[in-house]
Amino acid sequence: MLGTLLAGADPNEGIAAPVERTSAIEALPAASRAWGEIDTRSDAPRWGMLVDTERCIGCWSCAVVCKSENDVALGMWWNRILTEGSGLDTPSVDDHGRLGMAWLPLACQHCDDAPCEKVCPTAATYTNAEGIVLVDADKCIGCRYCMAACPYGVRVFNWGEPEKAPGVGEGMVQARPVGTVEKCSLCVHRIEEGQQPSCVVSCPAQARIFGDLDDPDSHINRVLADRGGSKLLKEKGTNPKVRYLPPRRRRSL
Amino acid sequence: MNTLARVAATSGAAERRVGGPLIAWYALLVAGLLLGLYAFGYQWANGLTVTGLTNAVTWGLYIVMFMFLVGISAGGLIVVAGAELLGTHRFEPLNRLAVIVSGTAIAAAAVSILPDLGRPQMAWQMIVSPQLMSPLVWDMGVITVYLTIAAIDLWILTRPRPMAKALRVMAIVSLPVAVLVHSVTAWIFGFLVARPFWNTAILAPLFISSALVSGTALVLVVAAIVRRVSSWSLPDHVFADLGRLLAWFVAVDFFLLLAEFVTAYTSQTDYHLAPLEMLFGGRLAPLFWAQITLGVAVPFVVYVVPALRRRTSLLVAAATLSILGVFAKRVNILMPGMYEPQVSLAPGIPLGRPGQGFGIDDLYVPSWVEYGVVVGILAFSAALITLGVRRWVLPADPDEAARP
Repeated sequence: MLGTLLAGADPNEGIAAPVERTSAIEALPAASRAWGEIDTRSDAPRWGMLVDTERCIGCWSCAVVCKSENDVALGMWWNRILTEGSGLDTPSVDDHGRLGMAWLPLACQHCDDAPCEKVCPTAATYTNAEGIVLVDADKCIGCRYCMAACPYGVRVFNWGEPEKAPGVGEGMVQARPVGTVEKCSLCVHRIEEGQQPSCVVSCPAQARIFGDLDDPDSHINRVLADRGGSKLLKEKGTNPKVRYLPPRRRRSL
Repeated sequence: MNTLARVAATSGAAERRVGGPLIAWYALLVAGLLLGLYAFGYQWANGLTVTGLTNAVTWGLYIVMFMFLVGISAGGLIVVAGAELLGTHRFEPLNRLAVIVSGTAIAAAAVSILPDLGRPQMAWQMIVSPQLMSPLVWDMGVITVYLTIAAIDLWILTRPRPMAKALRVMAIVSLPVAVLVHSVTAWIFGFLVARPFWNTAILAPLFISSALVSGTALVLVVAAIVRRVSSWSLPDHVFADLGRLLAWFVAVDFFLLLAEFVTAYTSQTDYHLAPLEMLFGGRLAPLFWAQITLGVAVPFVVYVVPALRRRTSLLVAAATLSILGVFAKRVNILMPGMYEPQVSLAPGIPLGRPGQGFGIDDLYVPSWVEYGVVVGILAFSAALITLGVRRWVLPADPDEAARP
C-alpha cells in the first residue's frame, strides 16, 4: 500500500540505484557473465531470493563476496551467516542429545510491507518499481529509526568514516557517507545489467536461487511451487521477498 | 563586579539584581553549555562512532533525553489549561512559570534530537521530503504546534490586562495537542513490530501519565527554587495542591505499568518474558527497582499523607525523586526494547566499527560525549528557564512600574 502511496511522488522510482557504479560488469569474462545471468523475467519483475538451508554449508563466501562487491566497510556486513548453535562454529544439541549444524544466511529480506520504509522520516528508504528496498544515501539523515524498526537486524550504520582493510580496492558501487544507514541492495547494479546478485553467483553450494517472483517460468517460482518456502518471522507481517527452504533431513555430525 | 552587575544594582530592581550567587549560576550554565557544544562539535567531526551506540543498540541516551524532555513539557499545560478547564484558580500564581518551564522543555526536546542524527546538517530533509507515514514526521509537526501554543500562552499571560477568554480558548486547543504530543512520541516506539516490548497499546497512555508526573513535579521543584532564591511570594497551599495532584498522577502511572507487566507476564511467551526478566532480575534490575521504590513508592507516600504533603521541603524532595524516577522509567522502556533482537542466532549483529565484531545483547554504556551533550542540553534548558523567570515571573522593577 505504501509503495502505491509513494509512487509518483518519489523521484527515485524506477530501478535506478542509489549509488553510482564505479566499475563495469562488462569487464567480466564471458563465462562469468553467462554463469551469473538472470534466467527469465516478466515485464514488471518482482525480484526475490530463495535460500536453501539444506544446501548451505556455512562457509561465509556469499558474505565476503558481498562485502567486496558493495564496498562494505570494516565492522559491517550486509550479509552474514547465522549459526543455530551457541557460537559461530558450535553445533546445536537437540532434545535427544544429538549434535546438529544448521545455518541461516541473513541479509535484507526486501519485505513487501517493509517496516523500515514505513518509519523513515525522509523517504530515504524506498521500494523501487521492481520491489527492491533501497536506501538513498543523499536523503538519509541518520536517525536510525529504520534500524529500530527492522525485525531482522540487517541494517548497518556508518558510525565513523568508512574504513577498508589495507590493499582492498574499490567495490562495484560507491561508498556511503558517514552518518547514513546502509544494507543489502540485492545488488541492484548487477540486476540492471541482467546479472544475479553476487551472493547467488558466488555460493559454492548453490544454496541461493534468485529470480522474478512474478514470472511463473522462473527457476525460483518453480522451486517455490515444488518445495514451498517459508518467510522469516512471518508473524511480523512484513511479507519478505527472501524465502527459506528448511532442511528436509537432519544434518548429523 | 562587572558592568552588568553594577547597572543592575543601580537600577534599583530588587529582584532582578545580578548578585554573586546568580553570576555563579550563570557561569555554571555557560560552562555546561560550552561542554555540550564541545561534545556535539567533537561528535559532528568524528561521527557517532564517539558514542557508545552500536548497530545492536542504535538508540541510547539521546533518545532517552528526548522522551524525557517531551514528557516533562506537560507541566505547563496541567497548571494552565487543566486548571482553566476545571474552573479552578488555585494555580494561577504559577501560570507564567509553568508555561516557561513547559516551553523550555519542548524546545529542549526538539534540540535533543539533533545530536542523535548521523547527519544533523541534513535534518532539513524532514521538511522538504517528509514521509507522511513516519511517526517521527508527525512528532515534528505536533512538537512545532505545541511550542507555538506555549509561546502564545506566554504572550497572553504577560499582557498587562488579563485575557480570560483567550486563555480559555487556548486551554481548549492545547489539551488535544498535548495528548497528541505524548501519544505520538509513544507511537514512535509503539508502532514497531520489531520490538514486542514497545509494541503495546498501553504505551501512549503510559507516556501521558509519565508526562503528567514529571511535568507537574518539575513545575513544583522550579517554583520552590525560585521562591527560595528570590522574594517571589507563592502561597504554601499551591505546593500542597500540586502534591495532591501528583498522588493521582503517580498512582495512575504505576497502575498502567502494572497492567502492562501483569498482562505480559501471564502470557508466558518468550518475547514478553525476556524484557521483564531483564527488568526484574537482569542487568536493568538495579535501575528498575530504584525506579519502583525511590521513584514511585517513596514520593507517593509523601504526596498521599497530608501531614507530609504540607511540609514543602519534603514535597520538593519527593518531586525530585519523581522526576528521577520517570527518567529511570524512560531508560527502562528504551533499553529492553533495544536489547531484544528478534533474530538472535550466533554470532549476532555486526556492531559496526572496525574490529568490534558481532554482538547480540552487548551492554550499552554511554560515552563522555553523550553525557557532555546531555549536560549541554540541561544547561540550555536551565538557562532558558532562568532568563524567562527573571523576565516574566519575578516582580517587576519598581522604578519601571512607577514610570507613566
